[in-house]
Parts: sequence; C-alpha cells; structure tokens
Amino acid sequence: MTSMGTTGFEITVNLIKTVLVFLMMVQAVPILVWLERRGSAFIQNRFGPNRVGPLGLLQLLADAVKFLTKEDFAPEKGNRFMFYAAPVFALIPAAIAYMAIPMSVPLKLESATFLIQGFEINVGIVFVLGISSLAAYTILMAGWGSGSKFSLMGAMRASAQIISYELALGLSIVGVILMYGTFNFNEMILQQQGPLSFQAFGYTVSTVALPNWGIFYQPVGMILFFAATFAESNRLPFDLAEGEAELVAGFHTEYGGFKMLMFFIGEYGHMMIASGLMATFFFGGYGIPYVSIQDVQNFGMNLFGSEIAANVFNTVVHFLMYNLKFGLFLWIFIHVRWTLPRFRYDQLMDLGWKTMLPWALANTMVTATVMFVTSYFMF
Amino acid sequence: MTADAFLFWFLAALTIVSALSVVLMTNPIYSALSLAMTMVSVAAIFVTLQAYFLAGVQIIVYAGAVMVLFVMVLMLFDLKHELQAFTRGRFSGAFKIASIGSLAGLLVGAMYTANVLTVPEAASVANTTPKGAITPLAEELFLRNVFGFEALGVLLLVIAVGTVALSRSKGGTHARH
Amino acid sequence: MPLGGVIFITIFIAVFGYILIRLARLTGGKAVKTSQAKFDIYECGIPVQEKKDTKISVKFYLTAILFILFDIEIIFMYPWAANFKNFLTSGNGPFVFGAMAFFLAVFIFGLWWEIKSKALEWD
Repeated sequence: MTSMGTTGFEITVNLIKTVLVFLMMVQAVPILVWLERRGSAFIQNRFGPNRVGPLGLLQLLADAVKFLTKEDFAPEKGNRFMFYAAPVFALIPAAIAYMAIPMSVPLKLESATFLIQGFEINVGIVFVLGISSLAAYTILMAGWGSGSKFSLMGAMRASAQIISYELALGLSIVGVILMYGTFNFNEMILQQQGPLSFQAFGYTVSTVALPNWGIFYQPVGMILFFAATFAESNRLPFDLAEGEAELVAGFHTEYGGFKMLMFFIGEYGHMMIASGLMATFFFGGYGIPYVSIQDVQNFGMNLFGSEIAANVFNTVVHFLMYNLKFGLFLWIFIHVRWTLPRFRYDQLMDLGWKTMLPWALANTMVTATVMFVTSYFMF
Repeated sequence: MTADAFLFWFLAALTIVSALSVVLMTNPIYSALSLAMTMVSVAAIFVTLQAYFLAGVQIIVYAGAVMVLFVMVLMLFDLKHELQAFTRGRFSGAFKIASIGSLAGLLVGAMYTANVLTVPEAASVANTTPKGAITPLAEELFLRNVFGFEALGVLLLVIAVGTVALSRSKGGTHARH
Repeated sequence: MPLGGVIFITIFIAVFGYILIRLARLTGGKAVKTSQAKFDIYECGIPVQEKKDTKISVKFYLTAILFILFDIEIIFMYPWAANFKNFLTSGNGPFVFGAMAFFLAVFIFGLWWEIKSKALEWD
C-alpha cells in the first residue's frame, strides 16, 4: 500500500496529521530551549533567563523576534546554495524519522481508524536508522558551504563521530530485534504489555511485580543505545563538533538568526527521536505499567458510556503516558549536558570503536546464546 | 492514472533526473549529492515494490554510508582545478553525451533481451507471504545461500585489512616509519 | 508503507524551511556591506587565511571506510535477528545459530585486528 488511506477523508486526515506532528516537533524546540536554559541555571546555581515574562517564559518570544530581525548574512567565500540548503535540509531527516514512532493507541472512530503517528512503517527500526543517518549530509553541506576552515574541520569531526557511533547504535539494537523478533514499533509495544513473563527451558517464568519492558531483558543494550544517541545528536559529552576551545562553533560557525535556529531544531529533533526510541524499545512505548489497554478502554466505557468517547479517552491517556516517558528522557539529555565535561577527540573515538562496539557485540552474542539455549534444552 | 502509477512515474522521473545530474553537474560535490539523491529515490522505488527491508538497507548503506564517504573525500580537496578540467575540456560535452548514450543503450538492450519484466516465480512468492515480510529473505540468506553469506563476511574482512594496509603505505600521513 | 505521506511531508518541510528563510530575510533585511571584514569568514583576530592547503588526516577516510564495512556486516544481522525466533521454532535454530556464530567470529577477528594494528588510534 503506497497511499495513506482509501477514502479521501482518511488521506486528508493522515496528511494533516504528518504536518501536525512536524509542527509539534518544531514548537517543542523553544520550550526545550527554555527548559535547557532554566535547567542549566538551576544545576549550576545561577538564575537563567528570568526577566521576560513569568519565569522567563516570554524569553522564547523575545528570541523569536531577535531571530526575525537579524540581518540575513552569508559569507562571500562560501557556496551560497549549500549555505542556504543545509539548514533547510537539517529539518527533513529529523522530522521524518520522528514521524515513524507511535505515540498512542490507534484512534478508532466510526468509519476509520487513525494511527497516532506520522505514518506506520513496516520496518520501523530500519527506516528510522536509515533516515537519521542522512543527517550527516546536513553537517557536511554546512561545513563546506561556509567556506571557512573552522566549519570544515568541525564538519569533518562531526561526521566522523556520527558515523562511528552509528555502528554502536546499530549493533546495540540487534539484541532488541532478537528479543521482539520484529522491526515494527507497534508490535514491539504490544509485546511489552502486561506483567514480566518469559519462557525458559520449557517453563514460563512470570511476575506481576514488574511490567514486561525491554529494559529488564536488555539492560546493557539500553545503556549502549542511550549513550550512542547522545553522540548521534551531537550533545555533550560528545559535542566535539562544536568544541569552542578549538573550533569556534564547529560546522555552524558562520550561521546566525533563523538558519542557526533550524540547525537547533534538527539537533533537538534527533534528541526527540532518541527519547521516543528509548521509550519504544525499552520502556513499553505508550503502554501504562500494570494497566492494559483494555483496562483503560473499560474504564472509559464506564466513565462516558459511549464507545467513541471511550476510544478517544483511551488514546488521550496513552498519549499522555507516552509524553511522560518522552519528557523524562529529554530531561535526562538536558541534565547530562550540564553534568558531564566534554571528551577529548581520541577518547571519543576510542569509546565508540574500542569500548561500545565490543560491548554491543557481546550483548548480541549473549542474547542470541541465551535465547538459543533456553529454547533448545528442556529440563 | 491511479495514485500508484503516478507515484511510480514521479519516482522514476526523479531517479533519472538525479542520475543525469550526476554526470551533467560540473561541480563534483553536486554530482556526489545527486548520486545520494538517486540512491534515496531508488530506495523509494523499492518501497513501491513492497521490498521495505531492501529499501531501508539501500538508504542505510548507500545513502547513509558510501555516499557520505564520497562527499567527505570530495569536500577536502581544493576543487578549482578539477572544476576547470570538467568545464573547459575540449571533449567533455561530447564525451559525456556519448557515455550517457552508450550506457542507456546498454540498459535498454539488456532489458530487451533479458525480458526481466515477467518474473512469475517472484510473483507467486509475493502472493503467498505477507506483504513486506522479511522471512523469505532471511531463509534465502541463512539457509539456502549460507555459504555466500559467510564468504561475504570473509570478503569484508579482507577489504578492511587491505584498507588499513593501503592507508599506511609510504607517503601517507600515517605511514609506518 | 505510506510512501505518499513521506514524500508529501518532505516537500512540505522543504517549502516550510524555504519560506522561513525568505521571511527572515524580509523582516531582517539583507546584510549591508559596511566593510569587507564583515563578509569575511571567521578568523581569530588576524587577517583571513585561505584554506588552500588545509591538510586533513587520512584517519577520517579510514574511519569512514571501516564504518562502511562494519555497517554492512551489522545490516546482515538485522534479518537474522528479526527471524531468529522463527528459526528456533521451525527447527533450523542450530544451523542458523552456527552460521551467525561463524560470521560474528570473522567480525570479531576483523575488529580485533583493526584495534591491534592501531588503525583506530587517534593522536
């Protein structure tokens, strides 16, 4: 099926939905920037932006005005086309990859069912990895288009870093794929419903104390994956791309105003993808621990008495649950940024190639071996 | 024209335009980026054929890895010299058109003789398995063609060793003294 | 896979970004050339130096090529991992497990060799 639905109504709603998810992502960025500035101030015992509006919230608006009134500048030595194309291209991979992540249970209306995600992708993991790996072009285009040696060196470092950590990232989720036996995000989330239970040596082990989340099966994979996503989104402690001491600001040295903001949206977009994937792979996605989707549906039925209202209630509740987990990981991203110092470049590469890659390999082998042994030998 | 047919023609046109711009662009970096675009649109055509996993692999390996390397290498050279060689050469225009023409002739000839458009076997497989399932691919790869799979692993190892050996042969910045 | 949606949103975002940049130029205006230095690329307090002979280490290429090789090997693990449960239930488990064990052994040997030959050292 290459279309987005069968009837005109469905197609329209689905296309509008993709635009909504994109706009949601874009408008989340100023909020995250505010959170990051206030949070960093809180962590470092400073005030942060607190003058414009209550809690400094109107600072976002002031920033937007400042972005809009800045002169549009492009260096003479650079390549103008690349210089302007890079920030626009920065938005695309981040937004499209984020749209593949399911955010709630599908909304069933009378005539049609709508998924609460940009689009349902059959091979979700492969799609997200592939699309987000295109982000390396943004950095190279910006670095080369600026025509400055600082930009070029920053771009070089950043792209080498991104591709190195892509290995650890790709390998750390082989264990996850082994566990769930699928590439599809929705199937993964449904498998994480209910209490922790698995089969080993012909017995079924089960406990109601814990939810059936991926983290209990893949703790090492979780740590490796989360660490690799920090490097992928160029965040501290892996933000070597913009090591101020050596490279001024890295690949976006020559940028300012709205073009700079678009790089920011791209960076935060990658953070959001990482947070969404963390929730999906290891923390049950939109699932609520100890409560099944059917329970919420029944509760809604009792509360409202109509099936449609119960469906809407179900979707909204799970959407809030997803956003709770999502926001938690975003906060961890911000907290880590203001807690850890930056690596040196050789340490960074060593960590990626010599530590995380072997650990991810070991994780894969152990997972496969355990699965093989526990299903082939019965006691 | 149905939506699927429109999508196919759109993607086909996109692929051909970006593939042509690989050879017609004078700036090597634009050429490399067009090639990446070609890879992505080929992946999109794979999707219309319901080869989802293959499309993902096409993007990860070709667009996300191989072309990134090409672009990285190209961006590091001072390309003014090459630009002039490309634009001012006496034969460049005729040579480009001739090479495109011969390649197109080769492709059309191959398609005409091979009659690739009717593959009954593949169609029956596609009808019996769920759309986009990767189980047939995995069975083909790990059960029936397992020797080729292992040989590929060894081949990749040989390439890795060769790369490192080449990078430290004399003259490089990391040559062994 | 809803390819139409992916293409639609790609075009939408490209147009959106283009409009944003045009809008910023409209409201902020084009940069006025008050001096040559304003339009030069960034430099730390000295006259601009051309990047003519910027030498970049061969390490970057080496890293990129090794990345491609290992990436291909990892991609081969994906269909295996997604179908491992099916193989276990269909009785092909030991064969497929062995096949991947050999493949992984080659992978690990490759990685070990790269580390040992100091191809991944940065200085």
